[in-house]
Amino acid sequence: MQSKFLGWALLAPTLLILALFGVVPFIYVLFVSFHQWNPFGANPDMLFNWAGNYRKLVFDAQFLASLGVTAAFVFFAVLSELVLGYALAQALMRDFPGKAFFRTIHTLPLIMAPIIVGSVWKLMTTPSIGIIPNILSNWLGYDLNIGQSAWQAFATTVIMDIWHWTPLVTLTLIAALVSLPADPFEQAQIDGANRRQIFWHITLPMIRPAILATVFIRMMDAMRTVDEVLMLTGGGPGSATRYVGVHIFKEVFPRTNYGYGSAVSVIVLYLTIVVCWLMYVGLIAPRNKGKG
Amino acid sequence: MARVKIDNVFKRYGALQVMHGVNVDIEDGEFVVLVGPSGCGKSTLLRMLAGLEQISDGTISIGERVVNDVPPKERDISMVFQSYALYPHKTVAENIGFPLKMAKRPKSEIQEKVNHAASILDLAHLLDRYPKQLSGGQRQRVAMGRAIVRNPQVFLFDEPLSNLDAKLRVSMRVEIKELHQRLGTTIVYVTHDQIEAMTMADKIVVMRDGRVEQIGAPLDLFDRPESVFVGGFIGSPSMNFLHGTVSSQEGRQVFRTDGGLALPMPQAGLADGHQVTYGIRPEHIAIGDEGVPVNIVVTEPTGSETQIFARVDNDLINAVVRDRIYARPGEQVGFVIDPANVHLFDRQTERRL
Ligand SMILES: Nc1ncnc2c1ncn2[C@@H]1O[C@H](COP(=O)(O)OP(=O)(O)OP(=O)(O)O)[C@@H](O)[C@H]1O
Ligand SMILES: [Mg+2]
Repeated sequence: MQSKFLGWALLAPTLLILALFGVVPFIYVLFVSFHQWNPFGANPDMLFNWAGNYRKLVFDAQFLASLGVTAAFVFFAVLSELVLGYALAQALMRDFPGKAFFRTIHTLPLIMAPIIVGSVWKLMTTPSIGIIPNILSNWLGYDLNIGQSAWQAFATTVIMDIWHWTPLVTLTLIAALVSLPADPFEQAQIDGANRRQIFWHITLPMIRPAILATVFIRMMDAMRTVDEVLMLTGGGPGSATRYVGVHIFKEVFPRTNYGYGSAVSVIVLYLTIVVCWLMYVGLIAPRNKGKG
Repeated sequence: MARVKIDNVFKRYGALQVMHGVNVDIEDGEFVVLVGPSGCGKSTLLRMLAGLEQISDGTISIGERVVNDVPPKERDISMVFQSYALYPHKTVAENIGFPLKMAKRPKSEIQEKVNHAASILDLAHLLDRYPKQLSGGQRQRVAMGRAIVRNPQVFLFDEPLSNLDAKLRVSMRVEIKELHQRLGTTIVYVTHDQIEAMTMADKIVVMRDGRVEQIGAPLDLFDRPESVFVGGFIGSPSMNFLHGTVSSQEGRQVFRTDGGLALPMPQAGLADGHQVTYGIRPEHIAIGDEGVPVNIVVTEPTGSETQIFARVDNDLINAVVRDRIYARPGEQVGFVIDPANVHLFDRQTERRL
């Protein structure tokens, strides 16, 4: 009995903090999502409206469109980060002059706050004053105007995300690569595998857990990107970069539509869980069978 | 199948030199066993043959081709690592079939060969397991299986049976010899086990501190060790050594230990007073009244034979006899030594005289 009590006592602070900052706000959001609530509107009271917000959401073309662009954004960003991050990790496994310097420099984006990243990129991409449009038009004769071209805006947000988060992927993959045993790779050479075969049959399966963990983290993060994109494009032009996070922000703050915004948040959380669960079932669970 | 020629090979790790001019010639189809104390460079030599380790100096050729700069996958060799080096994410069947898969062989052929190897190695019931679900000996057998599904030019085995129990070791030994006879493939085999070395090898290479100490057929090494080191290393239990000088007694030369005891020795024409190391194998000492009197320290009957330890000067001398000897510690017995079985080495150079 005593030890049981002690266990709970020791866990209490953690549980308390979790409850305070995790569970309570979540339940509150869930609660709000079943109400119509615009505290600065004509009727500032909270009105219970059943699942009205959710019903509205299903027919909200803007929301559905934002889901679409978010999926595209997450797909392109995370895939590129993975490929680029792996290439960088492999490069950093080798010895070359200035390696320590490069390794330090390349992680710098990680310590920048997203809001700063967004503003810096905004500065760099603003037509006529930004360095990127200038270089592109002077050297390549290419016009970059993310305030006008929908796909340019989309691509720029993807590139910004890649710039910001690839180092995270690189770091986790380096950690995974460094901890690999040398034996299987030597054995594979002896067994006649060429570099490509070694990559597909040995390296990839052996760092699979690290890759999956990184992809999960990056996907969840990318799905709720707000501040960078808000800063860079404000969700535009039109709704080209109105990712769900941005969509929620715009519903809740400028329009003070708390009830509806909460419903969107809950749905996005639900979708995130579903996507992760599908990935788990599809990619991790079958491989773990029999591995004990 | 191929000749292997190791020609004046050096290996340095930075400033540390671990291989000092090794020369070994291996005939096509020969079964060569590398022996030597731990850290003498057996694995390093094997890894250089495999191409996993750069050669600092000298040449290695397989077949007629110098392979110094040929990558492992193009050397057409199979290897069993001392550490097994199984692929942790692959099942036993996938591990064994991996070399064939890399060679893009048809699935049916892979399956057939894997099953065949598994039945030889008694792994058939483990094919779906992962390496971490296996015991050390089972892992070793998987590594063995992966090596033998192919038909390479050379097999390299680094202590492939070290983790097996005695019974399995005997049967695997037979399997490997049988494999060798069937395929006729050149084999380079590292072992610590005397019996493996003596029974399997066409030729034994004794190494010491990155140098070749002696190369020869097993029985030649046993009968004519070129140095004190080889004499002590080959044979189990190992050779007894005594230090002393040559002196004449009643017209014959005898070996006189530093403590003054006289032992018979072959008439080799050495000068009186020559400082020698005297080597005699335990099984070449018989017990008899006419022998040199020694005091027994301990006797160890093992059932089929008796080991006797006796004190000569300050050394313990070991004799192995077939009879049961019921002598008590402190009792005196006579050691009978046939001079023909005595090995004499120069005390300074430790080379055979
Ligand atoms: N990467 C390395 N760097 C420096 N020294 C090394 C390296 N690899 C091996 N050595 C040294 O080379 C020598 C030979 O090592 P090796 O592994 O070949 O010994 P071995 O004969 O196989 O021993 P064992 O019977 O214990 O397996 C040892 O002294 C070892 O310390
Ligand atoms: Mg070794």
